Amino acid sequence: MLGFHGCYARIDLTKGESQRIPIPDEVLARTLGGVGLGSWLLHREAPFGVDPMAPEAPLIFSFSPLVGTGLTTSAKFAVVARSPLTGGLCDALASSHFAIAGKRMGVDALVFVGACEEPSDWVKGRLQASRSWGRTARQAAFALRGEGEVAAIGVAGENGVRYATISADGRHAGRGGLGAVMGSKRLKAIVVAGECETKVADPDEVARLARSLRERAAGDSTAKYRELGTVGNLLSFDRLGALPTRNFQQSQFESAEALSGERLRKTRRHRRASCASCTIGCEHRFGYQAGDGAAAEVRVEYESVFALGPLCGIGDPDIVLAASRRCDELGLDTISAGATLAFAMECRERGLLAEGPRFDEPEALLGWLDAIATRSGLGDQLAEGSKRLAELVGGDAIDFAPQVKGLELPGYEPRSLQTMALGFAVGTRGADHNRSGAYEADFSDEVDRLHADDRSVRHAVDSEDRAALIDSLVLCKFVRGAFEDFYGECAELLRAVTGAHFDATSLRETAKRIVDLRKAYNIREGWRPESDRLPARFLEEPIVDGPAAGARLPAERLEGLIRGYNLARGWSPEGRLSGEATTRLFESLGLDAPAETGALEARSPEASAEQRCAESMTEWTR
Amino acid sequence: MGRAKAWLPWFGRSLVEHVVDQLLPVVDEVIVVTSESLDLPALPARVVRDREPERGPLAGLRDGLAETSAEHVFVTSTDAPFLTSDFVARMLAVGRPCAPVAEGHVQVLCAVYPGSAGKDAARLLDAGVSRPLRLLESLDFEAIEWSGGEAGSRGSVEAPPWRGFNTPEAYLEGVRSVDPDASAEVELLGRAALRVEQTLRRTPVGTLGEVLAVWPASLGLIEDGRVARAHLASLGGRDLVRDLRVPVGPGERVSILDALAGG
Repeated sequence: MLGFHGCYARIDLTKGESQRIPIPDEVLARTLGGVGLGSWLLHREAPFGVDPMAPEAPLIFSFSPLVGTGLTTSAKFAVVARSPLTGGLCDALASSHFAIAGKRMGVDALVFVGACEEPSDWVKGRLQASRSWGRTARQAAFALRGEGEVAAIGVAGENGVRYATISADGRHAGRGGLGAVMGSKRLKAIVVAGECETKVADPDEVARLARSLRERAAGDSTAKYRELGTVGNLLSFDRLGALPTRNFQQSQFESAEALSGERLRKTRRHRRASCASCTIGCEHRFGYQAGDGAAAEVRVEYESVFALGPLCGIGDPDIVLAASRRCDELGLDTISAGATLAFAMECRERGLLAEGPRFDEPEALLGWLDAIATRSGLGDQLAEGSKRLAELVGGDAIDFAPQVKGLELPGYEPRSLQTMALGFAVGTRGADHNRSGAYEADFSDEVDRLHADDRSVRHAVDSEDRAALIDSLVLCKFVRGAFEDFYGECAELLRAVTGAHFDATSLRETAKRIVDLRKAYNIREGWRPESDRLPARFLEEPIVDGPAAGARLPAERLEGLIRGYNLARGWSPEGRLSGEATTRLFESLGLDAPAETGALEARSPEASAEQRCAESMTEWTR
Repeated sequence: MGRAKAWLPWFGRSLVEHVVDQLLPVVDEVIVVTSESLDLPALPARVVRDREPERGPLAGLRDGLAETSAEHVFVTSTDAPFLTSDFVARMLAVGRPCAPVAEGHVQVLCAVYPGSAGKDAARLLDAGVSRPLRLLESLDFEAIEWSGGEAGSRGSVEAPPWRGFNTPEAYLEGVRSVDPDASAEVELLGRAALRVEQTLRRTPVGTLGEVLAVWPASLGLIEDGRVARAHLASLGGRDLVRDLRVPVGPGERVSILDALAGG
């Protein structure tokens, strides 16, 4: 099938061997790329019950058929692995030239298994001792400039922080601790480059569709991202009683104005930038004064500002922006870092921790981030994430640890955004605003965001399906509003690129299949119905402040929503795939259904795929 | 109305808070009956759920009365901003079931019932009766002829204590009858905020369409008779609406958000 290379590279870092393994066309058609293909590869490559940071655990970089086509926002890749934070499937996306160069290596995915003997860089097939161990990802990329495009980890990944990121071009595959998986392989950086073009079926049609999407993406549907960026959420969330503050003890923040995008735009040095192949330009960079008085600059997103600001009770923009930049440098997921610190702050406030960060010590924030990344002192426990820290603290700490399945909540108060609460509960990755856009319903006049009902179920399922497709194509979600007929237009794009038949109906099925595939992995690795649960705080305490005061999300309401969601997905009321559905799913993807052996065999490769692989074969040796 | 009546603003608090505040000084306990789908603000009252809201106020009376052991209970609806403590005290002082009657209409939701009448209400509902008047009639109630207005907490008003609102216009008229200068404020957030110097303006109360007129049309806040697709209006931080006919109450803040909030 055009648009793909029809194979992936399996790179054994222990043995120093690389192998190209064909991927059948029907698997590519049914998983597409990005998180879909990555999930398939994880099923295939990950031994049952593997420790996420064991050498045997695979780390997958998955590309997609649209990469390199000129479609706006298509220069994205997915990283997939078993998460050291949640124990479940984790897929995270990043946008960068790495996606384009990676696909030019002549493969649809890179799968790293094993571990290097010493800190190393993987440079286009060769392993070499890393000169950047102990330095930032940016420094690692700089050291390897000229070799190709680089994805690298920071110090947090080297030290196995369970929410360490992988970064490329300064953008992060941020959630779930994939940087720790890379660090456990003693792999500092991955450099990709190549000459393998992917042919598309109808270049003129692709160009026409790309032009049309680009024009629409320049309009109103993306104006918010262009003009203000996601940090524009902060003040709006505050006004709606949806801005988590001081570890979700409050829903409004007294310093929200100072941290708002509106204020930053009017008072700070500002410039915009774009990811590779993007015409939207959502990246807003703001100036701030660093601790030493020097002028500095940082890319600002809502989630970073929320997590390091209101969630930790910090209202000084210079501190919050500096902390955001420090997380970038250290390779820390800002959401999990901020949320784990905020949780520790509340533990300290309650006397459950004798030492540790405090809400009223904002100037200490940067030091705590350093301690986490280097696992120094209490930082060693903070590096484990809020769930493990709560287990360590004991008592009722788990009731107010802001996590689902171990993944810290992003900046959406679930009691005042109850469709999103459902999305958080059932998310495969855990509490997740990227794999479920259920908040869109809450920010509309279509549901009662303070009292979810059956309407929320439909929105949660639909948004998760759309995310599964867009994350497999892979396109940026910020372009989602530019589609008039999302599934129909995606099918049009795929037809023009691959020459194969896709239509809206088949893509809806594909989206559901990908959701099923991810769920099946978690079931395989120990998911239980009780995994789909929000912390007790959200189910037992009402919001106490602001316009959403009194809003409650009783456990029975959430359970009803989850049951409705599971049934709408065709699962059992508890959320299990039936044996028949599992068999059908795995057979359709050439995977052996989960069994004692765990052996997963791909179907026989097609000659054309094998041939294409051979043409692009490079000798990859240590 | 386009909004939950209980949450409509009434001079610094919600209507339900205002009504509860009127009751508290003259009763032993306040019980608020509400539907399963409506959360209320924190109230100095016991909140019970209406098991069958689709069956009307008699079912709510049944569920509320079932929760009390008081001899007599004053019953009012939530949207009764002109209810006063004095009026409630006078009604309870009658010492038996009673209700005001105005122009021949018995005000069944501004009346006193025996605390034990819950089971009578249940019997009527079982018999297919849904009108509270039948309950009062079965209790041999005393009709008290309504003879005019009384002094309210914000000055002399003519409105009877059971006066409620079924339309935005009626609500706004009620607001203006208390304070002709009642005002709200409209705040621009997100992209719209980047286009103006001052992002907050005060305006007289009115429908959403009327209060949005405080901002120039060039901002494009209104489109095709609704809040423009690029935006969304938050009323008091609770209701998210596009319908320009909904009322904006006294002291309320309307925030104009980017429609693509989140992400």
